[in-house]
Amino acid sequence: MVPPLIRPPRPFKNPNYTKNTNRRTKNLKTVLGQEREKERIERERRRQERDSQAMDIDEVKKELVEVNEEISTYLSIEAPPSVLPQRHYCDITGLEAPYTDPRTGLRYHDKSVYELIKNLSPSAAKDYLAARGVNPVVR
Amino acid sequence: MDEAGTSNIFYVPTPSLPSITPPDSYDRFRSQSVPLIIDNGSSNLRFGFSTSASPQSSPNVIAKYKERKFNQSLLLFGDAIDTESGAKSQGKTPWEGDVLLNFDAMEHALDYACVRLGIDAEGIDHPVLMTERLCSPLHSRALTSELMFEQYSVPSLTYCVDSVMSFYHNNKPISGSTFNADGLVVSFNTASTSVIPILNGKGVLSHAKRIPWGTQQSTEYLLKLIQLKYSSFPTRVTSVQASWMLHNFCSFATDYPAVLRSLKIPANMRAAERIIQFPFAIPVIEEKTEEELTRIAEKRKEQGKKLQELAAKSRMEKLAKKETDLQYLTSLKEGKSENKREWMHVLQVEGFDDDAALDETIRKLEVDVKRARKKDPDGQDDVVEEPSFPLIDVPDADLDEEGIKEKKKQKLMKAGFDARARARREKEKEREEKEAEERREEGERGNNFDDWAARLRREQETIMNKIKERGRRKAALSDRKSAAAQARMKNIASLAADERVSKKKRKAGAEDMFGADDEDWQIYRKLNAAAVSSDEEEEFNQLRIIESKLLMYDPTFTAQHTHASITSQRSALISAFRPQYEEGDIEGSARIHLNTERWRVCETYFSPGMAGVDSAGLGEVLQSILARFTEAEKARLVKNVFITGGPSQFPGLQERLYGTLRPILPPEMHLGDIVRAADPSLDAWKGMASFANTDEFHQVGVTAEEYQEWGPERIKRWWGGNCNSAV
Repeated sequence: MVPPLIRPPRPFKNPNYTKNTNRRTKNLKTVLGQEREKERIERERRRQERDSQAMDIDEVKKELVEVNEEISTYLSIEAPPSVLPQRHYCDITGLEAPYTDPRTGLRYHDKSVYELIKNLSPSAAKDYLAARGVNPVVR
Repeated sequence: MDEAGTSNIFYVPTPSLPSITPPDSYDRFRSQSVPLIIDNGSSNLRFGFSTSASPQSSPNVIAKYKERKFNQSLLLFGDAIDTESGAKSQGKTPWEGDVLLNFDAMEHALDYACVRLGIDAEGIDHPVLMTERLCSPLHSRALTSELMFEQYSVPSLTYCVDSVMSFYHNNKPISGSTFNADGLVVSFNTASTSVIPILNGKGVLSHAKRIPWGTQQSTEYLLKLIQLKYSSFPTRVTSVQASWMLHNFCSFATDYPAVLRSLKIPANMRAAERIIQFPFAIPVIEEKTEEELTRIAEKRKEQGKKLQELAAKSRMEKLAKKETDLQYLTSLKEGKSENKREWMHVLQVEGFDDDAALDETIRKLEVDVKRARKKDPDGQDDVVEEPSFPLIDVPDADLDEEGIKEKKKQKLMKAGFDARARARREKEKEREEKEAEERREEGERGNNFDDWAARLRREQETIMNKIKERGRRKAALSDRKSAAAQARMKNIASLAADERVSKKKRKAGAEDMFGADDEDWQIYRKLNAAAVSSDEEEEFNQLRIIESKLLMYDPTFTAQHTHASITSQRSALISAFRPQYEEGDIEGSARIHLNTERWRVCETYFSPGMAGVDSAGLGEVLQSILARFTEAEKARLVKNVFITGGPSQFPGLQERLYGTLRPILPPEMHLGDIVRAADPSLDAWKGMASFANTDEFHQVGVTAEEYQEWGPERIKRWWGGNCNSAV
């Protein structure tokens, strides 16, 4: 059965507006790059402003700190890398992993898991490592 | 797997087709400037007028699909994508993670919203309140503003942050007063998780932080884990099914290391697992009935018999022919006339060169006939006649040349005959010995069973140890640095070295003496690491014989003690982690067991490093944010910790957050209970709707004139919106 075609009119759209199609759909990298640029420019601008108001060195420093704190862009909001020591979890089972296999680099929980690792193919071992985010480039 | 009463087995839900509902009537809202609220989420688009109680919600995906049946191109949005199976792969969302990038899709999404709401006026004549991401990139905001103002001609547009509005909805001030609640908002979104401190009703966005880990990444991680664990799964696991599993079976652990330590025990792991049963197909085996089988067997037997008969017949024919030939030739020979020439002529006609050839053919035929006769079932001649060798004893001198040749021939034949007789006797002796041995063993077994069993078991153990040693040696040889490998290299080097031949031998002019001593050849065994030597096979054979004897007679020695089962035994832990079903169990092989994954996936929120994302986890971020405030402010913030967003519905989250925050705060500071939004997915929209009905709403929007003047990136600074590029 042919589904009823719902093609209602769209009067709410402005027919005179032409989309500037070649300006659309920038990819993520360029957008983030633009953001970074804008942030830098903004920082510069504020610093100039403060400088032009001719304050003491100390006060300038304080102002700078304030300035840096105020600017919040998409990138500055991002969480920093972790500084806590990493806990080792077994790549295969997910339990705690005190040991690491020197041949493949996989972490494992106990010797029965090690038996399993010994029989893994190199591509399977690489998949396990990739799940952890470790991508050995030359192997 | 089934406990009494509760079944652990869950079935993957079958997708259901969506239903078509007619769009709303617009009449209520025509020419009234009721604010239009759009919660532009990464997974769902929620929209509606601010006076409605709840929004319409639809997945935020658009697909342009060319249908094969009627060759039409369709524009499908949201749930409708499920109706066409090929459309899913073409689905595009306006969001890429957290950033609004695809504006065509955004335009279609807004079109859909307007169509559903039944808007048929020229342009949208309502002030619009839309969400954007925390500190959204200006590019996204610019294009959205452009879209809204130019394409849809809205009178005014306001942006807000969804989690702050959800917070507002749950901490609404008494009507009339301004919003000045304090709190710490943790917002769980599709592609990120953010923490926003709110003081005096205003979001301190400069101190907010965002972790790039959300539902999308969690689902992918769960899918990856399942694919690694079940690498040979019969069906493909889709991300839709993975997200279903995530929502239903995964939870936060209050103390992750403790949970792991308890799961270490296989019994606990089995108790904690959830079994997901995927659909499977039972292959139809054509079972032949009994009579068919017997019929086939009979047919085969008959064929065999026929062949045998044919063979016998042909043999008889050949034999008859040979006999006739023999008769003919012998008669020919007897009827040999004295006339030599005639005889020669006759012979040539027959095809023989001379007399001797004729004689030979006759002799051959005679032998054949005799042998054929012997082979016939009637007339077995077992008696081995000792052929006579008369000429052996006659000294050489008495015989002529022919005689000597004959004698040599007879000597050879006698030697062969003797050898054969000797071999036969030895075989018999061996058989007798073996029988005697078996009888002895039976006697021993009968008399002293335990000793016999113990002895056999010890033998089995020694052989198994030898096999293990061999395996270990082989493994050691493959590792370049092991002692065995280095010894092997030394052997090779010493063989190749020239100084092996000592000076004395060289002086004596002797050649390389390798091989004179039998032991030298052992070096090949030592060097060739890869060969499966015949010793191994022998050991395996011996082992098998011993084991079969033990299995037969010893009741306590079961199949589990055999070498084969011991080597293929999987530890209890691994079989609890990933139970192995038998070969033919189709239902079992289409099952997924989730045990550690249930907590592992949610734990990544608190340490994204587990999944390879180099970012601080939620606990660390909370700590660093709180550290930037003064003690007084901190106290105000933690009194009201608020979680919102779809993923905040994971069980165990509140306890976990409480457990994370409590240790990092001074003990006397009061940490309130973690409050979850009343309706985590829709509260943002509801907060926006209730805000839009207040007077303050009209002051914070960007009107069309302001848009023309400032450009699309500027917004007004207010407590619920972003402050980048804000006036």
